[in-house]
Amino acid sequence: MSAPVLSNYDLDDQCYRLRLTASVAGVALDLVNLDAFPGRDHLSRGYLAKNPLGRLPTLEHDGLVLCQPAAMQLYLAGLPGARALIPADPAEQARMHDWLIFADRDLAVASAARACALMDAPGDEVALRARSRALLRLLEDHMTRQGTLGQGYVAGATLSLADLALFVPFALSRDFGIDHDDFPALRLWARRVRRCEGFITMPGIPDYH
Amino acid sequence: MTIPGWSPIALSRDIEAGSSAGTLLEGQEIVVWRDQAGTAHVWEDRCPHRGMKLSFGFVRGDHITCLYHGWAFEGSGRCTGIPAHPALDVPATICATTYAATEAAGMIWVFQPLGDPAGPPPDDATVTPVRSLVLDVPLEAALAALPEAFEGPLIREGQVALLDAGAVQLRIGLQALSATRSALHITALGAPGTGLLLDLLERAQWLRRLAGEEIPA
Ligand code: FES
Repeated sequence: MSAPVLSNYDLDDQCYRLRLTASVAGVALDLVNLDAFPGRDHLSRGYLAKNPLGRLPTLEHDGLVLCQPAAMQLYLAGLPGARALIPADPAEQARMHDWLIFADRDLAVASAARACALMDAPGDEVALRARSRALLRLLEDHMTRQGTLGQGYVAGATLSLADLALFVPFALSRDFGIDHDDFPALRLWARRVRRCEGFITMPGIPDYH
Repeated sequence: MTIPGWSPIALSRDIEAGSSAGTLLEGQEIVVWRDQAGTAHVWEDRCPHRGMKLSFGFVRGDHITCLYHGWAFEGSGRCTGIPAHPALDVPATICATTYAATEAAGMIWVFQPLGDPAGPPPDDATVTPVRSLVLDVPLEAALAALPEAFEGPLIREGQVALLDAGAVQLRIGLQALSATRSALHITALGAPGTGLLLDLLERAQWLRRLAGEEIPA
């Protein structure tokens, strides 16, 4: 069977989320690189036919077309031979989904803040940054609690898709003016995520540590 | 207002060996890093090369390396390597600005005023770290909210607040990040159980609301 195809733009945070997930899951991905800036390939007729909102990325495989990053992550993690990134325990699995939805519904402001800061996307940069910071504090609170419970990751004691989804806005937060000083629990967690097998970086995330 | 003496700037457990973090003390940028042997260092957060933040750098062995052009500094602050000039014997005058630092009672401390020689060490205690809490209010406002959050009386001793929370005695390190922001390094004496620690964490979160932070809904 051929590899899933990701419509990719290297500097896009959600594209990185999917490249990271595939790499950690040990799943091969075919990348089709788009020129989103300045080329606006993601607004082309051909791309909009697949992804009507013109969002990056899109994942295609055997006729399946996915437009939501969390669904793409779940799909990749469910492919035969993929490393287990979905907890078997129902409660942990539900917690993973809870935080995946937080990543997409709430922390979408972090993507907007970054697009605003780096790519001149429209929006109130100051307000987006303030809101992103408040939401990262909620994640900091959660990871502090997890630490007290002896659980090193977002959903439990092992790495899951939620860690990979949430690592991205935290690791890239300096792009939109939030440094890591105020987030000790997230710093410890991010170091843990970085050490996982298959971890890869993107521009804006130094590959030391 | 600077109280001369030791100021806590982090919980010891939050600065792992081989890692670094930036923080502020009354507006002054500092970096705290721990070498692989476990010693914590507190310096001005400024690379002597072009002034970039050392806290963005990375720790290898007993060195911290600046992210920008790779200058490496040993624990004494001395620069020991410049990648652009690998053969150069780096002059001993190239040095990061180091501050007197120590660890006690589960916290990393720096001596104030920064750059002064260390005074007698801060009091030690056997504690369990709870969490550091960064608040967007001045230290005095954070202090004022503490008794309500933890339902107990508070005594301040220098940069430590001692709070009798009934089931547990708290020892809270007080850090003025700036005139408008503060950090509380919360520890509990002895070894409280998980249930008690979770209760303390919930109270610490509520402290944000008491201090006037809004729910980001
Ligand atoms: S600024 Fe630190 S090495 Fe150049």
